[in-house]
Amino acid sequence: MTLDTFVIQLTNGLVFSLLLFLIAAGLSLIFGLMDVVNLSHGAFYLLGAYVGLSITRWTGSFWLALLFSPLLVAVIGLVVERFLLRQLYRRGHLDQVLCTFGVGLILADVMRSVWGSYVESVAIPAPLDGQIVIGGLPFPVYRLAVIVFGLLIALGLWLLIERTLVGAMIRAGVNDAQMASALGINIPRLFALVFAGGTALAALGGVAASPILNIYQGLDSEILILALVVVVIGGLGTLQGAFWASLIVGMADVFGKALLPEFSVFVTYAIMAGVLLVRPQGLFRREQTRLA
Amino acid sequence: MTTEHASSLRPAAVLAAQRGWWRLLPLVALALLPLVAPPFWRSLTLEVLALAIFAMSLDVLIGYTGLVSFGHAAFLGFGAYAAAFTTERVSENLLVVLPICLASVALYAVVVGFLALRTSGISFLMLTLAFSQMLFGLAIRWSRVTGGSDGLSVARPHIGLGAWQVPLGPDLDLYYLVLAAFAASWWLLSRLVASPFGHTLRGIKENAQRMQALGYRTRRFELAAFVVAAVFAGLAGMLLAMHNRYVSPDTFAWTTSGQGIIMVIVGGAGTLVGPILGALLVHLLESVGSSATESWRLIMGVVFVLFVLFAPKGIIGILRRLRRSKESPRA
Amino acid sequence: MTNDDYSSALTRRRFLRAVLAGSALVGAGALLNSCGAPSAGTSAPATANTTPLKIGLLVPSSDIYAVLGASITQGMQIAFAQVGNEAGGRPIEIISEDEGTKPDLALQKARKLVEQDQVALVAGVVSSGVANALRDYFHDGQKLLVLANAGANALARKAKSPYIFRASFSNWQSNWQMGTWAAANIGKRAMLSAPDYAAGKEMLSAFRNSFEAAGGEVVQVQLTPFPNIGDPAPFMAQIRDAAADFVYAFYSGAASVAFVKAYSDFGLAQTVPLAGVGFLVEQDVLPQLASAALNIRSALHWAAPLDNPENKAFTTAYQKLTNQQPNVFAVQGYDAARLIIEGVNAVQGDVSQQDILLKALGAATFASPRGPFKLDPNTNNPINPCYVREVRQAGSAYTNVVIAMLEAAGDPGDDSKDTPVA
Repeated sequence: MTLDTFVIQLTNGLVFSLLLFLIAAGLSLIFGLMDVVNLSHGAFYLLGAYVGLSITRWTGSFWLALLFSPLLVAVIGLVVERFLLRQLYRRGHLDQVLCTFGVGLILADVMRSVWGSYVESVAIPAPLDGQIVIGGLPFPVYRLAVIVFGLLIALGLWLLIERTLVGAMIRAGVNDAQMASALGINIPRLFALVFAGGTALAALGGVAASPILNIYQGLDSEILILALVVVVIGGLGTLQGAFWASLIVGMADVFGKALLPEFSVFVTYAIMAGVLLVRPQGLFRREQTRLA
Repeated sequence: MTTEHASSLRPAAVLAAQRGWWRLLPLVALALLPLVAPPFWRSLTLEVLALAIFAMSLDVLIGYTGLVSFGHAAFLGFGAYAAAFTTERVSENLLVVLPICLASVALYAVVVGFLALRTSGISFLMLTLAFSQMLFGLAIRWSRVTGGSDGLSVARPHIGLGAWQVPLGPDLDLYYLVLAAFAASWWLLSRLVASPFGHTLRGIKENAQRMQALGYRTRRFELAAFVVAAVFAGLAGMLLAMHNRYVSPDTFAWTTSGQGIIMVIVGGAGTLVGPILGALLVHLLESVGSSATESWRLIMGVVFVLFVLFAPKGIIGILRRLRRSKESPRA
Repeated sequence: MTNDDYSSALTRRRFLRAVLAGSALVGAGALLNSCGAPSAGTSAPATANTTPLKIGLLVPSSDIYAVLGASITQGMQIAFAQVGNEAGGRPIEIISEDEGTKPDLALQKARKLVEQDQVALVAGVVSSGVANALRDYFHDGQKLLVLANAGANALARKAKSPYIFRASFSNWQSNWQMGTWAAANIGKRAMLSAPDYAAGKEMLSAFRNSFEAAGGEVVQVQLTPFPNIGDPAPFMAQIRDAAADFVYAFYSGAASVAFVKAYSDFGLAQTVPLAGVGFLVEQDVLPQLASAALNIRSALHWAAPLDNPENKAFTTAYQKLTNQQPNVFAVQGYDAARLIIEGVNAVQGDVSQQDILLKALGAATFASPRGPFKLDPNTNNPINPCYVREVRQAGSAYTNVVIAMLEAAGDPGDDSKDTPVA
């Protein structure tokens, strides 16, 4: 691998890592606060991508899609939280797993009947559709924009959690929901907010990724597994963990494909297995959780 | 752990022994089924029985030991591929194939279990997923041995003891083999979970730390449960491979593991009988449902959500509630 | 509570008893089977049978191959409608089942069609994995299967069967003809790229065989993760580094859209020409690829603008039925149905005359939208024409314009004309 190629692959790695972060951040937040393993996360991602596709087609603007698709999907997330998940907070993880898995199946079928089974793709929006030269070679501008966008979202989320009142409430809820409730924090409202926020992030990832990963039936489960891997490596519920794990998985994916194509199917899982065997709680979480 | 608590969880086979043999009627009915049912329903029943073995084995982990494995399909697939290799390269005699299959699955399960059981909870779930996904990748990649995405043909075995030979070629014979395996698995697993070993597992599920404090080496018990569950899953995989006469990497797909979990939860975890009914419901939804409507996923999703909301103890929970409401007016 | 208690609960005697009970059940099965089998004698007269002729259609209606399944179904509908939904004097009744993507579930669906619905034959099958799973069931059970897509080479080679007919292609076809043509018309140094599974490797190895025989050199073989390629960007940098004259690729569906779009996004389309087997830019993905597909040359046994009367009539009928352009899968469905009609006509609807039916299916010839349709009697696989197409823009739409017509070829029937790629 020449230096030029290395720089290109490093950039590719950054692009994929930050896409992964966009997708996984919501899953991580939801788990951290609500202790819910949300298996419908992939479906919300795909729903966001499809809604974004329709908005782009109606209005001709990718940017409107990027703004409104997450909002619309968040409303559906709110409905799911209010009428389904809220009944289950006192139950074990398994019930939530089954319920969100069911929601994912329902959403997948609805998407199939609304958008059909053709592979859909979204054109790269106008000001970003060119290439610029990196390492002597052309590189798509949109992919660089994804890096910037991902970093901005990461920074925004960090500020939200660390520097705002809502963030303080979320942190209190993550640490000890009962104590937070005793302190007068409205936990049900906070949960609803976080679940809606998490699904909105999934949808945002869906729209932002659609010019690169395209949109098709079955992408939901691909994305779900990837996001789960990222979140587990980072440590469930830690935003910081999700960020660094995204970098690890993204880089491993790109350099695995480039250097060890025969083994690229295994690389992601091998890394996850390795991390979990050494640190079962993930890289950035202190204690372990137990399913029951 | 009190005995009262244990008896409420005791599976049907043990109850059958206590309350009379009429409870074995379902097995008799299954044995007579081929006389009346058309061939397709016979093969559908065979699949349900094999999947029921798979679901029961997973229930030993989920319902009794509290270990949620998201990679149980690895053992189903391992058993299936082991059957393909053994019938192709060693022998087509079931008395040779069966021990080789089960022993190789057990060996593999010891390795995976030893590693995966260093963790628990979500980490355990994701580790088991990782191991099954790596097998999935291996089955596609290592095509010289596994046939790659084309899969492998599996020969129908025979049972041979010296001069005594029973061919298993015809579908009907295989049906009775699977039925026998199902009955044996059910009986063995029922004994297992009712045994002191089973009580220990339940103790671990409820409070692993307390069990450790009581001097149990819980990791060993968990590993034993993991291997037992894997062996029965491997048995199911072997039987399905012989039924389909074919194995493909899709057996390892994570969706198969997911379906196993759903069979257990929808049926009723920690009951053994529940997962049998769960296997029946899920397999019928998937096969008959997808013949009836294109929206069978929607229906499946709605069924799962309804179960979680209104029948958290699964089909068994519903049945128990019905029986209680029938009995209470008389009492 | 110790381990000893556990082992005593499962004494050896009890275990043995269970095993014996199990083998008794198996023995009973053997007995039942020998005396309970109904004697299957068909005494129905061959004439004047006007009961519906049931045809099982096994194509995906869910998951990633749903578009292919729908196209095949629509192609068949057109063929059956042309003959008034009647063959051999019997009305045709289609019973559809979802092939899905899992071979074992698809096998169960095939069983349902054959055993429960008692169909005369099963048609369809998109996935090679499914076709492989069905093979023994149909071959051993002497039931008829007409494939409308699944291209696994083996089905024309070591796994061929007198009961299985293929109206589509083998993975070897088109690729092999294209190898010679590419060496003469595109370049001598090629990089090959395909997903790392059976079909991908079969396609590339057929291409490599004739390409190298024609003096071409394969500089690198790139096998990408299957089933999901994910982000193909890392492969683009590799392609640039290989500095080949051109890239020859096989991708289809979602992977094709991902690969071809990335190829264009990274500016490779201008520097290293992309060629491939026709599925790369077939009509099911071409509208999505749009300008990214421009100038891609590909080989296939059909092209949308083919100038023959059957193709024109078929295109008109397809557009009327679906408001869409036909694709090669629809043509394969159409031809599978035509083949079935020919066979059933030959036995005047009496499908129990299986010998005659098999012979008639093997000998059937007709004018297809792809050109003359004829099966190779050695393989039951069609001898396919091969068109080299190039993607060009026509107004706002894109189409595969035919730029060369290569010699027709059937599958060789063995692996002698393959050069393994991995």
